[in-house]
Amino acid sequence: MTVDTRILTVEDDERIRTVVKMALEDDGWTVLEASSGEEAIGLFTIHQPDVVLIDIMLPGIDGFELCRTIRRTSDVPVVMVTARDDTHDIVAGLEAGADDYLTKPFENKELSARIRALLRRVRPSGTPHARVVFGDLEIIPDEGKVLCSGTEVHLTKTEFRLLCEMAENPGKVFSREALLDKVWGYDYFGDGRLVDVHVRRLRTKIETDPAHPRHVVTVRGLGYRLQS
Amino acid sequence: MTATVEPVIVDDDRVDDDTLGLRGIFDRRRRRPWGLRRRILATFLIGATMLAVLLAGTTYGLASSNVVQQREEAAIEATRRNARTVQTALRGPAPTAQPAVDALVSFGVQRALIWYRDSWTAGTGRYQADALPQSLVDRVIDDAVPAHIVTEVDGETNIAVGWPLANDAAYFEFFSLDEVSSTLRSVRLSLILAGAITIVLAIITATIASRRAVRPVGEAARAAKAIAGGRLDTRLDANDDPDLAVLSESFNDMASALQERIERDARFASDVSHELRSPLTTLAGSIELIQARRDDLPDRAREAVDLLSSDVARFRTLVEDLLEISRFDAGAVTLHTDELLLTQFVSHAVSVSSMPDTPVIIGDRADNMLIVADRRRLARVIANLIDNARLHGGGAAEVRVEIPAAGRQVAHIRVEDHGPGVPHHERRLVFERFARGGGAGRRAGNDGSGLGLALVAEHVRLHGGRVWVADRADRTDGAAFIVELPAEDISADLDGEDPA
Repeated sequence: MTVDTRILTVEDDERIRTVVKMALEDDGWTVLEASSGEEAIGLFTIHQPDVVLIDIMLPGIDGFELCRTIRRTSDVPVVMVTARDDTHDIVAGLEAGADDYLTKPFENKELSARIRALLRRVRPSGTPHARVVFGDLEIIPDEGKVLCSGTEVHLTKTEFRLLCEMAENPGKVFSREALLDKVWGYDYFGDGRLVDVHVRRLRTKIETDPAHPRHVVTVRGLGYRLQS
Repeated sequence: MTATVEPVIVDDDRVDDDTLGLRGIFDRRRRRPWGLRRRILATFLIGATMLAVLLAGTTYGLASSNVVQQREEAAIEATRRNARTVQTALRGPAPTAQPAVDALVSFGVQRALIWYRDSWTAGTGRYQADALPQSLVDRVIDDAVPAHIVTEVDGETNIAVGWPLANDAAYFEFFSLDEVSSTLRSVRLSLILAGAITIVLAIITATIASRRAVRPVGEAARAAKAIAGGRLDTRLDANDDPDLAVLSESFNDMASALQERIERDARFASDVSHELRSPLTTLAGSIELIQARRDDLPDRAREAVDLLSSDVARFRTLVEDLLEISRFDAGAVTLHTDELLLTQFVSHAVSVSSMPDTPVIIGDRADNMLIVADRRRLARVIANLIDNARLHGGGAAEVRVEIPAAGRQVAHIRVEDHGPGVPHHERRLVFERFARGGGAGRRAGNDGSGLGLALVAEHVRLHGGRVWVADRADRTDGAAFIVELPAEDISADLDGEDPA
């Protein structure tokens, strides 16, 4: 684990913030604290943290808005923390650009595991090819680049990882569980919505017509497949 | 997805059958009152029948008296005319009335009778003097006034008219009423037919009218059922009919009030749980931090931290279960279903439960069963049942996956324990919220939330299944919690394919 991994935690409840800070410091990470969205934006631009932890219920700018603001300039991994595990909040958080989510109360172990999975995700393991081509879609894993009809498309780290996992076996159907395991490090009981929302977001970036995807195709009842 | 009201928890004791039996007898004794539709129909029918009979009766009465009167008048007029002819013929004076009768016969008058010089001269056939009623003869001959009477001659209804003549003579004539009778018969027939048609029309109208009248009641009943079934936003359509608008308005007001109240209650439980989540996060996180430094603590402090930590875990379960159940109450639970291979799923679910080493025994034909389920919720069901076995069932369990009967598209997940079992009268109660059972001592000191089995019942119901408690399959001590789920055998689809 790199010593200078910086984690920005945005949480208005001081006690929770303190506990989270202590727990993450136990894991050897440097923790930056913000109690509001405005403060978080300031800290983010100065320190460029490696992972951002955002509580949805914030005074002023809420977590969704903060996430969208960060996403405009950065592909940093974001974990949403929510006190409600209602479908609405979780999906809205993922749609806003979050890579993963946690519901309160969470265990420190779980939080660390999620962050570790996100940090691990920067480069997929053992991609065999330097360049994979699917029709007008071109993936260059080593450079972390995706070209769509020759123009570079900007993907978040998670989206890129998801695409690379599927690119390793073109035409193979990946179940949601398999993708959750490979990309997010979840076991059998991970949340399939993580995959679905990320696939949707990926499509808006790499498909000419996201409503009728040609590359990332849904295989009903089974999962997803990447094709040219 | 919304919850429905079908009872899911079945109990295999026989108490219910008895009560049902008693209720049946009670019902048979009580006479069922007529339904609104039948009453409307009956009212219409009685009204229409009465009206038809009254109208037909009046019409027939008027028609018959009219026709008879006309016939009488015509008969009297004809008699008067013929009497004058006879009078002329008798002038002379004639020795007998025969020429007069002959003259009448030549005109076509067949049923004439003449009293002349104390003797009768008749026209033809049956219409002889003895066919005349004595009262008529007396009146005409003795009192010398014209008279008429209705009389039967050989089974034929006739009107007999008498006309006194000068010179101690009298003229009588019979007129057949057959024509009148047949007219009246056809009038009667038409009236009966008209009456019948009226009644049939009345029945049809009444059926339609009663159906229309009852329709709002049916709609209200359906809406009430929907509300009872959890679809709290059900409302009746606005009604233009001022009489029925009252019903629909007050029904909708009631539904709104009910919905508001239920939602408020559910929201309260949900808000409370949410408010508890933040301090709980701090508590759980802090305890984890202390536990990480467990070895640095003195023995007594370590013991206290362990206690604290187990109760915080319990508190956390309670809050999460409360939140989950309040979501059920608010009807806000949606399933994220996947197609799952039952045996694989159960094994996974057991492996993440509180007793991951619990053996999973796969029964015959259970290998290739596919279920459509929300994996996290169904895993909670299995985890809760295993927790229940751990806390109340002697701390050990087996999970069996079985297909109860070939052809029936269901699968059973049986969680069997080695505890004291669940007595018959408690088998339904254990699925109640915070049910601790009759033997409070037996269950005292447990670390469950008291909502585990209630959540099991809710989850299973949402999956279209049922859950109940029975004895263990091998009849030894212990309880078996059986979850029945809709399942599909996909062996045929998997033939020749690699199941991995």
